[in-house]
Amino acid sequence: MSFLFRRLGFYLAAFLAAATVNFFLPRLMPGDPIEIMFSSAGGDLSVENLEALKLTFGFVDGPLWQQYLTYLQSVFTGDLGRSIKYYPLPVTELLGRALIWTVGLMGTATLISFTLGTVLGIMAAWRRGSAFDVVFSVGAIMATSMPAMVLSLMALFFFGFELNWFPTGYAADPALDPAFSWQYVSSVVRHGILPVLTLSIVLTGGFLVTMRNNMINLLGEDYIVMARAKGLSNSRVMFWYAARNALLPTVSSLAIAMGTVLGGSLVTEVVFNYPGLGNTLYQAILARDYPVIQGQLLIMTLAMLTANFIVDISYVLLDPRLRSA
Amino acid sequence: MGAVLKSFAQNRKALTGLVIVAIIVALAVAAPWLTEYDPTRRVGRPHQPPSWDHWLGTTRIGQDVFARLLYGARTSLAVGFGAGLLITAVGTILGIVAGYKGGRTDEVISFFTNMVLVVPNLPLLLVLAAFIGQASPWVIALILGVTSWAWGARVTRAETLSVKQKDFVKSAEMLGEPSWRIMLFEIFPNVISIVGINFVGSVIFAVITEATLEFLGLGDPKTVSWGMMLFNAQNASALQVGAWWDILSPCFALVALGAGLSLLNFAVDEVANPRLRTGNTLSRWSLLMRQGEGRL
Repeated sequence: MSFLFRRLGFYLAAFLAAATVNFFLPRLMPGDPIEIMFSSAGGDLSVENLEALKLTFGFVDGPLWQQYLTYLQSVFTGDLGRSIKYYPLPVTELLGRALIWTVGLMGTATLISFTLGTVLGIMAAWRRGSAFDVVFSVGAIMATSMPAMVLSLMALFFFGFELNWFPTGYAADPALDPAFSWQYVSSVVRHGILPVLTLSIVLTGGFLVTMRNNMINLLGEDYIVMARAKGLSNSRVMFWYAARNALLPTVSSLAIAMGTVLGGSLVTEVVFNYPGLGNTLYQAILARDYPVIQGQLLIMTLAMLTANFIVDISYVLLDPRLRSA
Repeated sequence: MGAVLKSFAQNRKALTGLVIVAIIVALAVAAPWLTEYDPTRRVGRPHQPPSWDHWLGTTRIGQDVFARLLYGARTSLAVGFGAGLLITAVGTILGIVAGYKGGRTDEVISFFTNMVLVVPNLPLLLVLAAFIGQASPWVIALILGVTSWAWGARVTRAETLSVKQKDFVKSAEMLGEPSWRIMLFEIFPNVISIVGINFVGSVIFAVITEATLEFLGLGDPKTVSWGMMLFNAQNASALQVGAWWDILSPCFALVALGAGLSLLNFAVDEVANPRLRTGNTLSRWSLLMRQGEGRL
């Protein structure tokens, strides 16, 4: 239990550090941060609104530590301020809308690639050195070292523009109203296929390599030899003896992948013009919409920390040796 | 060390990867002799398909794509290896110091390492690059070096912890050698395989990330690089108007470099961890035998 408490303390410190970085970033920029932050808003902001905005970001009069405390207070009360570009839309609402698309996109891709990568990794390790292993493990390594935009652009070119099989942008046909109808849902699915496909290819590689290497390290263990000596069937040894134990580190990479869900699909979303969180962050960066950028970074860090904490908990549950420590 | 190099040279993946990377390096170095065009000048009509005059066609504003690809390779390679070196150096030094010194030093370094590890990397890089504005390749390399060392530090520390327990380190300590000397001459050579994996992995990461940042429009527009080529092609709607050569050329270049480097990484991994090796069993066995002879 003390292990979990220690980790929890660490995550709190890490979150505080991230919030601090967030606080200082605009202040480290050359020039007057307030000028830069609000110049893009131009004449759209009234004086009172400007004051309110400044307040949320701790740009109050007073010494730096006072500004810092004001900022922390607004962060911990969940007030992320309002977007400058889409004033007066609250940042939380803007991000909330985008979140649904990203979670759908990355959730599907992560699920597909985890299943596929794990099964292929088990099989590659089992037939180590065979053509199957060489093709899939080398292919997986190459897939992970391919920039996301290269895959996305190629998929967009061949399947979107050349073959015209799939739409080339947006999450659904803009002409349709969001509703739980067959027409709308099928449109969402059609728009999601290419982004999910490219994301899955990149993610599968990582899961496959992790699983394969874990498996190979375990296959030399005595209890595997013993299971075989008992005359158990290949598939039983493969899945119930080796894979079960090799899965532990993979579970952690699954959770980490879930944590990066919010940031992981940025490039893909930009290429396919998909209205998810990544694209929202990108547009905010281009428009210098600081409240959105800061809010997004905080949320991403929070997701990452939560995922890490889930890993810790699952380790305690799965590995009895950690419970006493 | 000799045995390591030898098994590396006999690894088919390592050789393939090395050849691919060597070809790209050679093309980048020989750029002025391979093309007569200036990569920044308008040398033809806009968006011409590949022809004898322009092997890979021209861009939206009439620059030669082949020339830009060759000169762009210089940027990608320089940033990749520069940032890779920086990332590896920082990670290795912090990892060895934390692992060997232990105690308070270890606690502080490990705390920062874990902290950097849990902050999402790409969004942070994007924001940093955006705040700096029109980041040149060198600035990008520097940002990468500062933000991406944590993974290397963690694995190097773990490896150092196990090497530290070995007898030769204990005897060096008893001889009264200063700790910097032990870290440099006793620990470092024995964690070199981890450092190698870290280095190649960091180079891949740096090449990808530099191209990504530039593709997203956060780079310096005057740069000639693969990332900028993608950004310009995308801005010129190259796919929509069917100018596939403009966008697919840098794509394939990045794929080739990534494939070469990842094959190398795979091979380094296999050399460091013999259990992972594929290849046929007999040659592996005979290799082990020969290595055994050399040592006995």
